[in-house]
Amino acid sequence: MRVDTASEPSLLAATGLTRSYRGGKGVFDITLNLAAGEVLGLMGPNGSGKSTLVRVLATAAAPTAGRVSWFGKSNPRLPSIRHRLGVMLDQAAHFDKMTGYQNAWFFARQFGLSSEVARDRLDELFRWSGLLEARDQLVGEYSLGMKRKLNLVEALVHRPSILLLDEPTLALDYRAELDLIERLQLLSLTGTAVLLATNDVHLAERICDRVIFLHRGRAIREGQVPELLTELAGSKEVQLQVNSPIALEALRSLPAVEAANVDGDTVHIVLARGANPAQVLAVLNGTADLVSNMRVRRPNLGDLFLKLTGEALPVAR
Amino acid sequence: MLAGTIWQRELVEFAQRRRALIIKLAFPLVVGIPLVFVAPPYYAALSLTMLIAIIGTLGAGAVLTRERQSGLTLRYRTLPVTPGRLLIERLSTSASIDLLQVTPVLVLIAVRHPSQFAWWPALLLCTTSVLLLGNLLGAVASTVSDSPGEVMLYVFIPLLILLYLSGVFTPLSQPVLLVVSRLLPFSYLHESLLGALGGQPNLLPWETLLGGFGFLVGAAGVTGRLGRRITESD
Repeated sequence: MRVDTASEPSLLAATGLTRSYRGGKGVFDITLNLAAGEVLGLMGPNGSGKSTLVRVLATAAAPTAGRVSWFGKSNPRLPSIRHRLGVMLDQAAHFDKMTGYQNAWFFARQFGLSSEVARDRLDELFRWSGLLEARDQLVGEYSLGMKRKLNLVEALVHRPSILLLDEPTLALDYRAELDLIERLQLLSLTGTAVLLATNDVHLAERICDRVIFLHRGRAIREGQVPELLTELAGSKEVQLQVNSPIALEALRSLPAVEAANVDGDTVHIVLARGANPAQVLAVLNGTADLVSNMRVRRPNLGDLFLKLTGEALPVAR
Repeated sequence: MLAGTIWQRELVEFAQRRRALIIKLAFPLVVGIPLVFVAPPYYAALSLTMLIAIIGTLGAGAVLTRERQSGLTLRYRTLPVTPGRLLIERLSTSASIDLLQVTPVLVLIAVRHPSQFAWWPALLLCTTSVLLLGNLLGAVASTVSDSPGEVMLYVFIPLLILLYLSGVFTPLSQPVLLVVSRLLPFSYLHESLLGALGGQPNLLPWETLLGGFGFLVGAAGVTGRLGRRITESD
């Protein structure tokens, strides 16, 4: 269910937020708002600044310029702010010499849960995450997927008002991904604000109310998901699997082609509304033996990103 | 064993690393036995001062560097705890574990030289202050580099200089150096060790005790002040 959040007060607001690193990396001049019950997606390729932005919003890094406020307060070190944030960063960092349950217990208690409440909630979350049997195993022996699940447990245990999740479905199996989607949808219905950094187009389309596209550290586009998808209505995405390089510039110069990009041996082409895929093949005339496979499908947020930047989002799975 | 606080977590993790625990507890004793029972007091005090200073600095430096690499430092930053409290809690626990590690050596000294009991409070206090300051030095060094090897280097170079300036390696005769040595915690530890080992220290037990107490309070204060700089450096 989508929530109309336009008139909701922001739990999290950033204005002109910049966090720069040596070498020109970072995020620059980001303005965003996150209301209660809203699910906001941050999308962009690797290195676009998603993780940096999540770190700043999670109070793990300080902005070099701009202003961020959480629940109307702007001092990120206030324990009262951090108590209400649930954070899953990009690195699945844990105390490896402690068991999964010991790790989760530590974080639950740090966020002020009593022993009884921590025990009850952890029992439920370990069962939900499928980690129940591995709860007494050292985290150092966990797989990456298990560590990510444990991160989720730790982010959820204190029932935060804002959830900040960096690539939450990374390394998760399909079943776990579905469970996570269901849980996030339920949480947003009960008023939890969720900020999701992801490359997973399907995940974003499924649960995000709004999406911000990040490219080279800057927000290049923001909008409601249905609104953004409407921009591509009628257009198609053609995926060609090629045996050797093709003339990408020739393709891009076609009026029927809105964007084209190569990712490994696959060429992604976004065709304009009403354009015929045969026009693309006509350009490749004489080189058809180069194409080993061709697929035409409905465009998604990834295609919009490709259209806007000329760069493809990495394949999430 | 479940840990709900930062200091409990440090202790639980320490206790669960059995092999490391045995090595940590055994090696000061292995070094300490010949020093306490055979070596002349001056050399024993020199070696034990170095040993205590190294135990204090290396542990914290290596652990914090590893945590920075693994991303744990970032996770600590998102906890609802002020940076000063976080660092004080972590370093004081680490220093307490270090103290546990050197306690058998201190007991050996007491057993070997029972008549020097007047020095025992000073020795305990000076050891604690050096361990806490050593941990702080290691924590500061961990912010300089991401490589544990490099951090060791950044710890050792100033440590050796500070030990020299404290008069640990050679007796200091120049008045300026004598004054400098009294501004460093290692000189008080060295003096208390000399006294407890039956040597000839330059200070009285109460003077050493006062010095050790001052550095302990100072170390706690500086740790709190440096909390943000150390835990939030990238």
